[in-house]
Amino acid sequence: MIISNRLGLHARAAAKMVRLANGFESEILLARSDMRHRTVDAKSIISLLLLAASQGTMIELIIDGSDEVDAMEAICRLIEVKFGED
Amino acid sequence: MRKTTRKFPEARLEGIGACQGVAIGTAFLVDDPRGRVVRVYLPAEQVDAEVARFYQAVRIAQLQVQEAIERLQAALGAERAYILESHLLMLQDRSLGEQIEAFIRENHANAEWAVRDVTAQLLDVYAKITDDYLRERGSDIADVSHRIIKILSGSKMRDLNDLANGAIIVADDLLPSVAADLDPAKVLGFVTNGGGWASHTSIIARSLGIPSVVGVKNVAAVVRSGETIIIDGATGAVISNPSPETLRFYSEQRARQQQQQIFDIEERELPAITLDGIEVNLRANIELIEEIEAFRRFNASGVGLYRSEFLYSQAATGLPTEEDQFEAYKFLAEMSGRDGAVIRTFDLGGDKLHLEGFKPERNPALGLRAIRLSLVVQDIFRTQIRAILRAANQADGNARLKILLPFVSNLDEVREAKRIIAEVEKELRQQRVPHAEDVEIGVMIEVPAAVILAEPLAREADFFSLGTNDLTQSMLAVDRGNENVNSLFDPLHPAVLRAIKYVAEAAARMQIKINVCGEMASNPAQVLVLLGLGLKDLSMTPSAIPAIRRLVRSINMSAAENIASQVIALATPAEVHRYLQSHVPHLGAPFLTSAQLSKSTA
Repeated sequence: MIISNRLGLHARAAAKMVRLANGFESEILLARSDMRHRTVDAKSIISLLLLAASQGTMIELIIDGSDEVDAMEAICRLIEVKFGED
Repeated sequence: MRKTTRKFPEARLEGIGACQGVAIGTAFLVDDPRGRVVRVYLPAEQVDAEVARFYQAVRIAQLQVQEAIERLQAALGAERAYILESHLLMLQDRSLGEQIEAFIRENHANAEWAVRDVTAQLLDVYAKITDDYLRERGSDIADVSHRIIKILSGSKMRDLNDLANGAIIVADDLLPSVAADLDPAKVLGFVTNGGGWASHTSIIARSLGIPSVVGVKNVAAVVRSGETIIIDGATGAVISNPSPETLRFYSEQRARQQQQQIFDIEERELPAITLDGIEVNLRANIELIEEIEAFRRFNASGVGLYRSEFLYSQAATGLPTEEDQFEAYKFLAEMSGRDGAVIRTFDLGGDKLHLEGFKPERNPALGLRAIRLSLVVQDIFRTQIRAILRAANQADGNARLKILLPFVSNLDEVREAKRIIAEVEKELRQQRVPHAEDVEIGVMIEVPAAVILAEPLAREADFFSLGTNDLTQSMLAVDRGNENVNSLFDPLHPAVLRAIKYVAEAAARMQIKINVCGEMASNPAQVLVLLGLGLKDLSMTPSAIPAIRRLVRSINMSAAENIASQVIALATPAEVHRYLQSHVPHLGAPFLTSAQLSKSTA
């Protein structure tokens, strides 16, 4: 997935992601494609912000758990719609 | 990781003794001059409770932010509240909470310290983010961290007294206002890297009677929290990890001092009367309103000098308002008892006020300051006088406050100040504002011109106050802060003694009251001379009162007069020192500078 909204994964976008992620039971991890070894917890805003994913950053999602399919779909959708911004 | 009982060798450091007394206790590191975010090593059994305290604070912070969001939403609409929503998410962030909890458990740290260190690490990472907008989010973390610490700390000073209960505070520096809030019943003493003997923090330490050593290089880096340290406020020695022998030596010293303190307390109700029945007034010099407690502890006869400019240095923004001053002076009037308090009007320099058109001064000590400044910037002076006159209006009708004009060198200054005071009285009358009239107006005698003009000044003034520090400096033309010449600063210089005698005689002839409010009044040997010169109203740093009370009760006034008449006839400072050391050796060094002592014995 590519973060395509103008401001990147900033506080407000990250907040939306955290809310959404916390609605699922699955473990949801994110990593930047350029730093795959460092995954962050999508349920933690501090970690998400530390990812420093600005506009154009390629990210990967690793989701594991009972509702992983739904979670993957919902989060991809959020990124696709540019977090409802722009 | 917490190191258990690993033994470090005894280490000796040296500084400047700020307030006498030996303290032995556990070092308690304070890493902020405001006394916040202090580092505490907790005993193992308190760690769980500390973790609980942390989570409790986080829950309170969440509620606060939740409320703020609701207020913002109501006022500005849902969209605007998103910044605070990210704060809320940070507070709910499990990984942040877990990191802080882990820090508390691993380091046996108090929660404030853990929050600060963990968020500081996060902030370091944020600072390296290249995207400007994302990097800016670091300020949100700082905000959240600040909020939690504020909740944890609650009222900061009660906390410091409780946290450092039974310990010795070790800090880079302590603000005077923090020192003023220390409770000597709880905090055993303090030692700082910064500060000097005359710094405000040191003056407050003396007035509280809390053993302290200042100017100890790197002390906060050398001493570790939890170590045993000894501080000796008389010699300036600081010893960490003392050997058993050192510990025994200082324990014995401390025991002797504690015995002495018990005597002090027993003696404080005793009247300050000489063996031949002459009464002496012992009053307190006060800088901060908070010190009033200390002065009551030593049973002073009122406040002989309240240095009002400290209100200025304490005010958050510039000059204190009339109401701020009124509250402070009213409290002073109520607390200082039937003897009342002398308020010295602002002794400030023009540099402090950022006046328009004020040219930088090469020598501010001789510049536009004190009464000179008050007469130039009259609205500041009028505001202060209004506040004093209003506060002096006591229910029982006695004006317990007096006004003291600093740095007078010219009769016209006194006349002009009295004219302004009369105008303010009139204004208050017309506005029907409750106030006192006929408040006594005194003149500080601290420059040679005022000494020479003592008699005409006595016609204008209700009382004199001898400021022996400035008087010594100006009589001898010695800057006490200048290391090249400060060994020449000596209140026992015959020129100073003769000036004091001259002023005392003028006051007696003109039948006005006179008191002494400089450091001289707290040195027993010097007090003996002052008494002999006829000065029986002395105002001093409160912790000096017990020793001076003991001195007064142990002498005959006729003997003091005899000594003074001998001393006044001597021609050099060295002769005066020699005379006092040979005739009253039990009073200790007549003056503290070692250079002086070696000179006087040479």
